[in-house]
Formats: sequence, C-alpha cells, structure tokens
Amino acid sequence: MNATLAIAGATFGEAIRKRILMVILLAALVIILISPAFEPFAGRGQRTLILSFGFGIIQLAGTFIAIIMCTGLIPTEIERRTIYTILSKPVQRWNFVVGKYLGAVSTLAFVYVMMGMVFMIVSRISLGEFDPKIAQGLIMFFFQSSLLAAVTLFFSTFVSPLVNYFLSGGVFLMGNLMSSFLETIQRNPEVTPLTRIPIQILTVILPNFANFNIQNPIINPEQVLTDEFAYLVQTVLYAIVYIVLLLVASVLVFNQREM
Amino acid sequence: MSEYAIKINNLTKRYSGLWSQQPVDAVKNLNLEVHRGEIFGFLGPNGAGKTTTIKVLLGIIYPTSGEAYVLGRPAGDPQNHYKISYLPENPYFYDYMTGREILHFYARLFGIPEPERSRRVDALLDRVGLSRAANQPLRTYSKGMLQRIGLAQCLINDPELLILDEPTAGLDPIAHIDIRDLILELRSQGKTLFISSHQLSDVEIVCDRVAILNKGELVRMGKLEDLLSGGHVEMIAEKVPETVLEPIRQLGGRPSLHDGRLIVEQPDDGSIDRVIDLVRAHGGHIISVKPYRRTLEDLFVETIQGGRR
Repeated sequence: MNATLAIAGATFGEAIRKRILMVILLAALVIILISPAFEPFAGRGQRTLILSFGFGIIQLAGTFIAIIMCTGLIPTEIERRTIYTILSKPVQRWNFVVGKYLGAVSTLAFVYVMMGMVFMIVSRISLGEFDPKIAQGLIMFFFQSSLLAAVTLFFSTFVSPLVNYFLSGGVFLMGNLMSSFLETIQRNPEVTPLTRIPIQILTVILPNFANFNIQNPIINPEQVLTDEFAYLVQTVLYAIVYIVLLLVASVLVFNQREM
Repeated sequence: MSEYAIKINNLTKRYSGLWSQQPVDAVKNLNLEVHRGEIFGFLGPNGAGKTTTIKVLLGIIYPTSGEAYVLGRPAGDPQNHYKISYLPENPYFYDYMTGREILHFYARLFGIPEPERSRRVDALLDRVGLSRAANQPLRTYSKGMLQRIGLAQCLINDPELLILDEPTAGLDPIAHIDIRDLILELRSQGKTLFISSHQLSDVEIVCDRVAILNKGELVRMGKLEDLLSGGHVEMIAEKVPETVLEPIRQLGGRPSLHDGRLIVEQPDDGSIDRVIDLVRAHGGHIISVKPYRRTLEDLFVETIQGGRR
C-alpha cells in the first residue's frame, strides 16, 4: 500500500504542475467569478443563470481535466522510462495502475474543491443564500469525472493518447446520451427489436454518465428527485462499482502488456 | 545460494509483426552466466538485444522461450526486486521533486520506514556528492547530477545486483570518472554489476568479463584478459638490407621495407628480442619499439564487423 500511495502522491504532484490542467482550472474559476456579470444578457432568472452557468463550467472543466490528465498517465511513463525504475522495485503492476488512478482522483478532488469553493462563494454573494444542494451537485459531478478518469485510464493501458482522447470523449458523450436515446426508442413502436436490442446492450455496457447530472432539481426547486437520498447513494455506488471493474480490467490488460 | 547472479538458458524473445511484417527475434537462444561479485559488461551495437534482455531480467517483458534466473530465482519473481536495482539509459525522474524527495519516493516503494529512510537518503546523497544540491528541484540538475541521483536511487535498497544501462553516456570527463569510481567501489563491497554500455574504454577499465551480442545472438563471451590477449609489437629500424626480411617472416613477423626503413609488426610473444638481434646483426639501426595492446574497441569492431573499420 505504501508503494501505491507513493505513486499516487507523485502523480498528484506532477498533475497539479501541468500547465494545461492549471490553465483549464484557472479559466473555469475566472468564468465562474464573472458569471453574475452576464445577467443582463440572459433571458433567465438570476438563480438559473448563476447555477446553470457554474455547474456547466465545472462539469466541462472536470471532463476536460479528467481526459487530458489520464490519457498520458501510463504512456508518458513508458515513453520517459520512469516506469522501468518503478517496476524494477518491489512494485506490482496493480500498485502502479491503482496508484496512478488514486493520484488522478486526488487531482480531480483538488480541482473540484477549488472550483466548488469559488462557485459557492459566488452563488452566496449573488443569490444572498447558501443552498447546500449545490455541494451535492458538485459531489455528483466529481464522481462523474472520477468514473470518466477510470474509463480513460483503462484505454491508456493499450491505446495511444491521441486515440484515447477520441475513445474517452466518445464514451463520455454516448454515456450521457444513451439512456435518453433508449427511452425515445422504447416509446416508439416502429423501432424493431433488431435496432432496439443492440442499443439496450450498449446502454448496459457503457457507463451512464447522465445519472450524475442532478443540476435541474437544484436549479429549479419545484422539480423534486423522488427518494433523493436513495438515488444519490445508488448513483455513487454505481460509480464505485464501475470504477473498481474498470481498474480490474486495466490491471488485467496492463499485466499482459510488454513495454 | 546460487553461485550465479544471473543465469540465462536458451532465451529467445520474439516480437510479433504487425499486419504483414515479419516477426522479429530481438534475442535468439541466448546463454549467459554472470557470477556473483563481478562486473559484467554487456556489449553490442544498437538493436543487438541488450535492452530486451535486461527487460526480461527485470520481468518487464516475458521470454518467448527459454529461462532467465536472477539471484537464483526466476526473472520477474517479486522477491528479486528487493535485491536488485536498475538504472535505465537516459532516465527521467519526476523533475518537480528535489534530489532528496525523489530518493524518499523510491525508498517508499521499498516500504523503508522512517527514520531509517531519512538516514539512508542522507547517506546516499553524501555518497554521490549531491548533499549540497539535495533540496534543488531535479529540473535544475545537470546530466551528470541526474545520473548520480539515478545511481543513488539504485542503491536505496542496498541491492546485491545492479543492472546499469549506459551509466556513463553523455557525461563530461569528470562526471565520467566519478561514476566509474563509484562502480569500482560497489564491486569492492561485493556487489554484482551488470553493465550495458557503448563506452568501451570504461568497460575495459571496470569489467571482469564481457559478452558481445549482435543481432540478438551471443557472439563472444569471456574474461577481458583472455579476450584481449594477442596484441603486437611494432618495431621501426633504419639502414636495413633486404636480406633480413625472410628471417623476420620466419619468426612470425610482418615486415615492410622502403628505402632502407623497416617497419615490423611482430606478435607479442617474446620473439621481438630475436628480431632486434637480427636487425642489428645485419647492420640496422633501431629507431623505436612500441607494444600495441589489443583494445576492447578492436575486439568489438572485429567481432561485429569482422575486423573492418
């Protein structure tokens, strides 16, 4: 465990010094800070504007940071030969993969805490109230990004970073759209089973990223999540189980990999 | 305890070709033994299969066929990793860390607890001459300093076997000598060193035995003193008559005479004394006698290119 944590610490230390990640974080923070200034141009209420803007920016920044950070986690270590000095020590490959993932998730946690703090301060000042549900929404987006990081890490065990950008981005898009697409198809009686079944299978296989987006009930208090607590717990558990499965798959692929 | 630090039996590593490419044998039927406590030079041109062999020894890649044992256990056995260390060629270390932090990082991979960890890190920084730069980020280090920190991370677990890939490549002469001295010091402590290098002059100075690999196959292996035996002596003389040439040839020499100036290449087997007597007896005047020792570079070129330079 010591080795896993040492690798996680080194990954975190390196990630928070990556210029591209910090530029994305900084840009997100600036946009959140100036979001109240857009009120005159928006046709919506102040609450809707501030919250939807903030959540949107945070989700976008979290998504980009997760993908950009994780595509290079393993290929870069191989290219720079750092991995050889690590794997020649008493470090199993699973230590390396899990350590890399924990380092990536720590970075995401850091990024979400920074963005979340600024978002909550801005919403408190602009709206004159603090809605604790904003924190719930942020936590759900954090789990969404952590799941996306696991998907990207899995792909990084066997594809190049460039291919990984498209694969992970594609999985994220499809994972956000598949469930609503399936609902539309199921409501349409003209769709044949030949079309419906593959989409159903794909919906089961691909991680459902849409479930983590609970910003609508937060922005519009009249929309209520039925059995909110159970929904949140289920969604978080879904993320954890999916992440564990992806890490197991990553370790299995990486164990066979020759570098 | 096995008498060998490394033992390789009929090792073959084949890389399957992509699409229509032919599979490539990076290493073919390699047999090799490295004794405990020796410095072993692992030589070969680029693409000879040296790094592939090292990766097999470290368990980073798997052999297609054959076996490799490190310190008596199969290569890749997790227990081995407590007793061996590896320095890759041109390694990259997390450059935001300081020299001290990177050594702490590697010590943590071994699970070395505090305060023992700090004690070892300080001792190693001192040993490789980086105490004063210990708190500087690695990105400010020169190549020589990075190589020294690389060697320090190799020693953090007090290993029995060190595998060093090009440990002196790209270093200035002073850093070169420092690393070479450190390698010799490690041997005097009873450690085994397996060194892959193109710096043949270094290998010649520090290694006890060498193996030369070419196109994945072992082409030479043995003690340096045996492999480098067979030098020659060059003698130059003046006012020498042509009648002396035949007797010199009969003594095994290769004479050439131009305008009374004789140049003889004589095997280094003591026969040069008789050649000198012969030249003097024929009224010749000896200008110089110079021994030429065979170098590892000669052996290497001869082995790889069949003597063409």
